[in-house]
Amino acid sequence: MKDKHIIEVIDNVALANLSQTELEEVKGHARECGTCRTAFEAAQVSAVVLKQRAQVKIEPSPFFHTKVLAALRERQTVQSVPTFVRLWKSASALVSSMALATIALAVLTFVIPDPATAVTEQVASVDAAEAVIFDQLDEQLTYEQVIATIYNEEDEAR
Amino acid sequence: MTVSDLSDDESGWLDQQFAEVKDSVENSVVAADLADRLLATLPPEDQQALLMIDGEDASIKEVAEALRWSESKVKVRAFRARKKIREAMEKLLSYKGTTAAEQVSK
Repeated sequence: MKDKHIIEVIDNVALANLSQTELEEVKGHARECGTCRTAFEAAQVSAVVLKQRAQVKIEPSPFFHTKVLAALRERQTVQSVPTFVRLWKSASALVSSMALATIALAVLTFVIPDPATAVTEQVASVDAAEAVIFDQLDEQLTYEQVIATIYNEEDEAR
Repeated sequence: MTVSDLSDDESGWLDQQFAEVKDSVENSVVAADLADRLLATLPPEDQQALLMIDGEDASIKEVAEALRWSESKVKVRAFRARKKIREAMEKLLSYKGTTAAEQVSK
């Protein structure tokens, strides 16, 4: 292997996995070949750096556990609440405002009278009185009785 | 036994040990950080393969089983990753060598 470059060998296998014989051959070649020596040195440093990377444990922050458990509990609570309750929680504001609007409209329509409607009702009631009188006119009342009734009503009204 | 009970030699030796341990831990963190930066230039699959084989001494077969890859895929990924990391490290070392040589010549 002395005359053969060893770059491919050191790229192909982790340095730690080279047998003692292979390692000796690699070192022997690297002593005589500048290019391979540089590559071998870089491979050695890379191997050390990667080992350190694997050994260093990445510790989570002290609050990580607490945060994860709190998030899990919150999620479980949300899942245990029935669907209808969850929907109600999200839509309650909208439904409440719609209900209030409906009640307000009902109050305006049925409780507080419209002035125009009141006049019409008065007119209608007058018409109704006259209608009663004139409905009975032909069959039950004479002309004099009708006149007397109208004048009597007017006098009573005064 | 308190610190005041120690001789000067013993106290000095303890200080030295403490400093070495501290340096070692700091160096490990620095090395790991450098590894992270180098690994970040690789695709995630290459990173996984290289870290498991070169970092954790896993065999090709173990990595293949763990990641559910074929052994050929593991070998190819690890080879590519190792080559890239080695080339990047060569550049870093040659730059450092040049800088050091310049500082010596000054």
